[in-house]
Amino acid sequence: MYALKVSNLRKNFKGKNKIVKAVDNLSFQVKKGEIFGLLGVNGAGKSTTLNMLCGLILPDSGKIEMFGKDFFKHEEELRSQINLATAYYTLSSSLTVKQNLQVYARLYNVKNASEKIKELTEKFLFTQHFNTRVRSLSSGEKTKLVLIKSLLNDPKLLFLDECTAGLDPDVAEIVRDHIIQYNKETGCTIIFTSHYMQEVEQMCNRIAFMDRGRIVKIGKAKELIAELETQNIQIHFSRQIEKAKKILKNENIKFEMPEKGVLSFHIKNREKIIYPLLEKFVKAKIPFDDLHLNKPTLEEYFIKQSRKK
Amino acid sequence: MIRLHRIKAMLLNYYYASINSLDRIFDVVYWPLLDIFIWGFMTHFIQGISDFNIINVILGGIVLWVFLWRSSQDLVVYLLESYWSRSIYHLFVTPLKSAEFVISLAILGLIRSFIAFTTMSILAYFLYGFTILQFNLFHIAMLIGILILFAWSLGIFISSFIFLLGTRVQVLAWSVIWIIQPFSCVFYPLSALPGWAAKIAVILPTTHVFENLRATINGLPLNYGSLLYSLIFIIVFFILASLFLGYSVKKARSKGHFAKPE
Repeated sequence: MYALKVSNLRKNFKGKNKIVKAVDNLSFQVKKGEIFGLLGVNGAGKSTTLNMLCGLILPDSGKIEMFGKDFFKHEEELRSQINLATAYYTLSSSLTVKQNLQVYARLYNVKNASEKIKELTEKFLFTQHFNTRVRSLSSGEKTKLVLIKSLLNDPKLLFLDECTAGLDPDVAEIVRDHIIQYNKETGCTIIFTSHYMQEVEQMCNRIAFMDRGRIVKIGKAKELIAELETQNIQIHFSRQIEKAKKILKNENIKFEMPEKGVLSFHIKNREKIIYPLLEKFVKAKIPFDDLHLNKPTLEEYFIKQSRKK
Repeated sequence: MIRLHRIKAMLLNYYYASINSLDRIFDVVYWPLLDIFIWGFMTHFIQGISDFNIINVILGGIVLWVFLWRSSQDLVVYLLESYWSRSIYHLFVTPLKSAEFVISLAILGLIRSFIAFTTMSILAYFLYGFTILQFNLFHIAMLIGILILFAWSLGIFISSFIFLLGTRVQVLAWSVIWIIQPFSCVFYPLSALPGWAAKIAVILPTTHVFENLRATINGLPLNYGSLLYSLIFIIVFFILASLFLGYSVKKARSKGHFAKPE
């Protein structure tokens, strides 16, 4: 059984003079315990999808099933098993951290609410803000609070929308570790969106790349990256760089100089090109100091897909 | 299914919001007190030059009006606040239902109404020797009950517009009640209105409540026929407002208002 099964989901919004297709016939499944990433440029439909999955937006058509149950037929039951954290909206600004968490714990009917709140705030190193009003928190702290709120009901399905945005790198790492740990400990399924590709690559079991409301690619990070045909190579020269440039031009290889003495270029077939090229440098007596073969990353995949658009 | 723990959670939310903010506490008593002072002194002055028992009529009207005013306005204003603070986004991810949300707002309005009513009653007694308790309490309770029901229906009706159209129609929260007031004959009898206004006034259930209030104050029997009309009107209005609420919430979800509260 899937934790989440989305079938033929569609959502259009009325623009000023046109209909905007926000989500267009979207279908995907997420297995129990999986961390599933939704990637895409701004306007790709990630947030609309997430909002539909949480019941904040009604789809025009299509079906959302959670744990084998139709979301809109078992909304009350399923809503108590899901939760969401986003960097975009915070909790009630006039209430303190503790008060907000108490309210949400009651809304989710959390047993031993005080203990749960204490446990989570300690885990996220947030106890010092217990009696601080939300309006006085920094944006990173607000995000952290929303994340704590999202774990109050021990969700089986958790939606994390840019939940590390605005956090300091060290705090973001703590948050990521907690999410991964929570996933491992509870088997909670997580739907994750982020603009930090490294984070997505690190955390997600599978990734769906969205464009104009559709999923254009779905797979493991490694599989998506493997689709990148080119690899970046950087060679550092201490002298005779003009000669090296000439060789690259003769080989029809487009290059850039990211810094003085460094030539950077992309090649498709590493084995076939790089060794003969290096031989030519040796024969021409062009000494090079260093050579970097940069692994393709998800970020490069993202950029490539975005540029296609 | 409506769940009590979620209604309690929302009430806890409003309680915290109230104790954290002096202006919210101040707001409950400030305007009612101002009303008591201004209207009280004016009627006290008029009483001196007239035989008509104007103090009881005006102060009775003010004290009861507070139920309609606070119960309907607070319901909408607190709903608006969840839009302004954008907390509505997180609230509607929880299992909280729109009906539970509105019920909690209605209870909040009622609590604030009673606080304002009590404050006004105490002040009116000490300043002018006026107490609502001197009249037929059963009648007064019945009239208050009808006013509260109408206030809730009105609050739900206006809230539905907020759900449907967003905060751009927030002015309705403060304006509708004051449009109704002149036609509700709070301080003067129906017969004092010009013909065209009387035609509007007679439709409103509030007019019949305040007409009956004056009858009670003057020791006259209640017009049960007009009260029954008011009750039927309010029940029909309540049902229509609730249906409208259901429709508006569905539309709001469809348009994505909760996902992008403005």
